[in-house]
Amino acid sequence: MKPSPRIRSLWRNLFRRSRVEVDLDQELRAYVDELAEEKRAAGMEPGEARRKALLETGGVEQVKESVREVRAGALLETVIQDVRYGARTLFRSPGSTAAAIVALALGIGASTAIFSVVNAVLIRPLPYGHPERIAVILHGGSQPVSPANLAAWRKASRSFRRMGAAEGWNPNLTGSDRPENLSAVRVTSEIFSMLEVPPLLGRFFLPGEDEPGRDHSVVLGHGLWSRRFGADPKIVGRRITLNGEPYTVVGVMPPSFHFPPFWNQSAEIWAPLALSPRFASQGESLRVFGEIAPGSTRESAAAEMASITDALERQTPGTNRDVRVRSLKDTVVGNIRPALLVLFAAVAFVLLIACANVAHLLLARAAARQREMAVRTAIGASRSRITRQLLTESLLLAGAGGLGGILIAAWGVHALVAASPGAIPRVATVALDARVLVFTLAISFATGIAFGLAPALALSRRDLTEALREGERGSTEGGARSRLRGFLVGSEFALALVLLVGAGLMIRSLLALQAIDPGFDPRGVLTMVVSVKGTTAEDPARRAAFYQQLLERTRALPGVQAAGAINHLPLAGDIWGWPFEVEGRPPLPAGETQRATYRVVLPGYLETMRVPLVAGRGITSKDVVNSPRVVVINEDFARKHWPAESAIGRRILLAEPERPPVPAVVVGIAKNTVRDLWSSPPSEEMYLAYLQTRSYLESDNSHLQYLTLVVRTGGDPAGLTGAIRGIVGALDRNAPVSEIQTMESVVAGATGQTRFYVVLLGAFAGVALLLAAVGIYGVMAYSVSRRTHEIGIRMALGARPGEVLRLVVRQGLVVALAGTAAGAAGAAGLTRLMGALLYGVAPTDLFTFAVVSGLLIAVAVFASWLPARRATRIDPLSALRYE
Amino acid sequence: MTEPTSLLQGTLDLLILKTLAAGEMHGLGISRRIEQVTHGAFQVKPGSLFPALHRMEEAGWLTASWGESENRRRAKYYRLSRAGRRQLRAETEEWGRISLAIAMALHAT
Repeated sequence: MKPSPRIRSLWRNLFRRSRVEVDLDQELRAYVDELAEEKRAAGMEPGEARRKALLETGGVEQVKESVREVRAGALLETVIQDVRYGARTLFRSPGSTAAAIVALALGIGASTAIFSVVNAVLIRPLPYGHPERIAVILHGGSQPVSPANLAAWRKASRSFRRMGAAEGWNPNLTGSDRPENLSAVRVTSEIFSMLEVPPLLGRFFLPGEDEPGRDHSVVLGHGLWSRRFGADPKIVGRRITLNGEPYTVVGVMPPSFHFPPFWNQSAEIWAPLALSPRFASQGESLRVFGEIAPGSTRESAAAEMASITDALERQTPGTNRDVRVRSLKDTVVGNIRPALLVLFAAVAFVLLIACANVAHLLLARAAARQREMAVRTAIGASRSRITRQLLTESLLLAGAGGLGGILIAAWGVHALVAASPGAIPRVATVALDARVLVFTLAISFATGIAFGLAPALALSRRDLTEALREGERGSTEGGARSRLRGFLVGSEFALALVLLVGAGLMIRSLLALQAIDPGFDPRGVLTMVVSVKGTTAEDPARRAAFYQQLLERTRALPGVQAAGAINHLPLAGDIWGWPFEVEGRPPLPAGETQRATYRVVLPGYLETMRVPLVAGRGITSKDVVNSPRVVVINEDFARKHWPAESAIGRRILLAEPERPPVPAVVVGIAKNTVRDLWSSPPSEEMYLAYLQTRSYLESDNSHLQYLTLVVRTGGDPAGLTGAIRGIVGALDRNAPVSEIQTMESVVAGATGQTRFYVVLLGAFAGVALLLAAVGIYGVMAYSVSRRTHEIGIRMALGARPGEVLRLVVRQGLVVALAGTAAGAAGAAGLTRLMGALLYGVAPTDLFTFAVVSGLLIAVAVFASWLPARRATRIDPLSALRYE
Repeated sequence: MTEPTSLLQGTLDLLILKTLAAGEMHGLGISRRIEQVTHGAFQVKPGSLFPALHRMEEAGWLTASWGESENRRRAKYYRLSRAGRRQLRAETEEWGRISLAIAMALHAT
């Protein structure tokens, strides 16, 4: 079969182009010759006939171009041509092309990565059936609630369809070769109904399974199921041993499931919470969740709860103080929202700077190519053809930038997740977000197109002869365009200043945080949690001996300098309060209690941590059950209760549930240490002797059956791990060891969040500074090259190099100063929004502002000085001959 | 005197096809012939003639070959192909229908 004529022409046009071109050229030449011949035959003089013929034809090149445009494959051909030509032009000025591509790639990559995180953490709904109907009811929005309150609220409220509670739990999984302490949550049966997430296998707890005696069933998380049970599909119905008791597996959750989302986030196993025997208890240990009833809103539910809790608080003061109903989402993201918004703003700024940079690079390029465009128009390029050509160039640029951006974004998301401190919820679900990527790509393509095309369109509308003449003259460029470029660079400086101030403030916060004295010496200390739950040492008769032997054998290890144990480490653990009164002081008003954070220690803790004693003695091995009870208090405690006298020898009365208070003698005063948070101020704390504290020695409550071992060594603390594990295993092979970490990494974790923000904001600010510097350098270099002629004249007329230098640098400085001033004003308004992230520095810290402004101006001077120096080397004579 | 009427693309195609129905012709010849038969009403400029010729050649309506002109010069001659004749018949019919319809519309009261 013969190919259709159109296919044949397409083939010919694309692959036999020179033949086709020669053919067309000859055809047109013949036409002109024929026309001239016709005119000569009519009596015209030959030269004149030829001139007339050419004139009548209307420009051979234009005719050729219009024939090319109708040819088959014309569009394809011009696109190929444009791409080839565009790539060549871009490669001809590799510096500015690279600058534009890098700017775009950084802008696209960074903003996509960060926005992916913001989206996953802040914007995307929580992975439950109707997360918007779930409210969290807590004291002050974050503190746990008592079972008595839950029972009273359930009875009184009408706005909630269901109300359930969750409580943290750390059972020991035994019965296999490797005992493990698990992070678990106990929930009432309402919780899973509220979440509406179908289990992967099996079922949830049934109503009634959260009653004592029927509560020995568990639902496994996907991670635990895979890790410990080989993802056994027949796991449902099997029994596992937790804390030495049998539990039946009733279900397995899908991998995406996690609950609760704002505390105990590492929970991977859920068990029923049998609450009914505790409904009278005022112990505050529950997180309460409510599903808002159809027809109610969170606001109406909050209003109803406010009136209920007000009434209860009047009845029993202290029980229902400051109860807040928050949406689940607010509870989850409330604390990190400011940080993410600041990062998001930083990213938007970098993207803006990148776009401004690309814009003025393209403007400069367009200005430099005015003449080229004018020439191409003059020899027959149509306006649409030139536009298409410039569009192709812009798209090439944006495409290369976009490609780089995708790579940076993919890497950035990975790096962000890896570098993020544990405190960011849902961070594990972060993935590169395709919609965001499309959005940022669209923005940068739009910038490329707008600033690549606008000057071309303006040019093609202008008078050609004027454009040609202006190009020849090498004059200083049109005022409007140079003002636009100045404005763009000025804006870059303003944005960069805001970012730099933000980063500077974070750095100052970090320095202030690092200057905090924790009150102990973290270097060379290894810590780990050792639990006796579910082991033979759980027996109250053997518990104390287990820990004492553990400490003795640990101290005997080579390289160990000291060892001790405590219930909760500062920074790493909980802080629990113990109600007490000071002996001999008037009793507190009814309903009021006073508490101090208590820490239960085995002898050697204070020495191992090098917490200095200010007065008296520490806890020793002689402080046992049948000797008088002793307490070591911290400086704050002493200052508050015995401001004018010595506290040593005084007694406090420790409250005991359903028993008379127990007196304890103050035997020592220790220096203050940090509490649960690095930056929180110290408060009253007391150290009690483990060997005297019955609840710890005897309770079958698992949260009183573990201690944190602290071991000091002269060498590498992590190197002791194996040896200590061996000692624990030899004492009881079922005793699990968990949370093994050096005290230094505990301290690092405590400042990790600030450090993370410093790194991120610092990186953004660095990029911004670089881009702004490239921007001003580009503008000044361009301006100098346009002014070569003028500078040549100035120097020929006797201007000294120093004067030329000042002339050029001043021009750059004006732009930078204007931008910096605008940026400082903007930063003063914007940094207030990051107040929540700062420590020990005001958002409008003058020092930071001054240093950052100075830095920016120095960069501007340097970036303008480089081209200025080139200007002073201009040889006046060759400059005058230039172009 | 009024300016020569500008040619619609379809009209130009039809005129070229009709012109070439008489026999093969080169570019200038076609344009002179059109001028002549329309009594100067249509003057075909090279800027529209050549794109039209090349387009119609690619569509397979015309075939082109190099030959010698009356003035003994090399010139490119165009000739109707069989598809071109079919196209001419179809376009002539179409034109008749349109002009009749327009004439009726213009004379309607």
